[in-house]
Amino acid sequence: MPLRCQPEEIAAALDAWREDRSGLVFVADDTTGDDWSEVSAELTEAFRLTKKSLTAMRPVVFVVHNDDLLGRNGPGRAMVATGLLSAARTAALEHRKAGVAVNVIAREEGTNPRWLARWCGLLMEGTDPTGQLIHLGSGHLGKALP
Amino acid sequence: MTAVVTGAAGGIGRALCRRLGKAGHRVVAVDLSPRLEETVAILENEAIVVEPVQADLTTRSGIEAVALASQRSGGLQVLVNNAGITRDSRLVNLSEGDFKAVIDVNLGAAYRLTRALAHLMEAGSIINISSRAYLGNFGQFNYSMSKGGLVGLTRALALTLAPSIRVNAVAPGLIQTEMAMSIPDDVLGRMIALIPAARMGQPEEVAELVFFLASDASSYITGEVLIIGGGRSLSR
Repeated sequence: MPLRCQPEEIAAALDAWREDRSGLVFVADDTTGDDWSEVSAELTEAFRLTKKSLTAMRPVVFVVHNDDLLGRNGPGRAMVATGLLSAARTAALEHRKAGVAVNVIAREEGTNPRWLARWCGLLMEGTDPTGQLIHLGSGHLGKALP
Repeated sequence: MTAVVTGAAGGIGRALCRRLGKAGHRVVAVDLSPRLEETVAILENEAIVVEPVQADLTTRSGIEAVALASQRSGGLQVLVNNAGITRDSRLVNLSEGDFKAVIDVNLGAAYRLTRALAHLMEAGSIINISSRAYLGNFGQFNYSMSKGGLVGLTRALALTLAPSIRVNAVAPGLIQTEMAMSIPDDVLGRMIALIPAARMGQPEEVAELVFFLASDASSYITGEVLIIGGGRSLSR
């Protein structure tokens, strides 16, 4: 399972899950700044890896931060997070008949990396759900729906 | 009061310029296309004060040209990021060139122009023209991502520019523009059949919503996405 992940503790947890699974887990980079070149580079990397995975008919999970979906960490990270969510929905539409799932997980500060890895693994297993946003934590409650 | 409208030569852009102009704004009308001249001629014939800027918003010089025109005009109060392109293809067939072209124009240009102009606004309203495709649309991975990115941009700017500047997004569905009319009749008919309103939207309807968001009538609305799609987001 290809893994694009910066935070080490999350990468380690995902490593433990990926041996017997194929597909892409793309964790949006927490260090992306507000310079357009950084945003463009991150979205382009997501495009390349997602295209590669789906061309091989392998599932995709994007991992973003709930605060980024709500624009709380500046425009750069916000554009990446919501851009990935929309891209996931489109990719899911294009691959639903083939039974290849594309989903998004929104994590929070303090999300247990092992729990995140478990959800990534679960979303890699089947054809359902697809095109979904899974919130880990409760920070999204009472806030804007993506 | 000045309003900047990008993508001014297109169907929605022209309607935006007209609506804001008729409300008394001086309009800085921006487009890369030479068809901008035609739009300006029509608007001036309607006694709307327009300053045209033919510029490529993916370049620094293009952004600077709009900033200069906005400064000349003075009193910038409204920015409408409407410029957009499509390069449709299923993801597995989508080239990196087409991916980047759409992201750079639809999202990058809006972001960079907003950064360049926001400091010229003491108060006012920024409206990003997203698309109903931000919810996902077959064959539009790049377009959908760019329009989704505009939603995040809208939220982040709404937080950072508050309380003096409000930032919202409008997400049109199928609108009767030249782009829509280039769709084959049978395909277009099937698309309209899926719209509860049973018709395409009109550019003037989008312009009216944008005008509302630009006006004090919406003074308690910021960081929102308003879909104008005839109910298409609900139907099968």
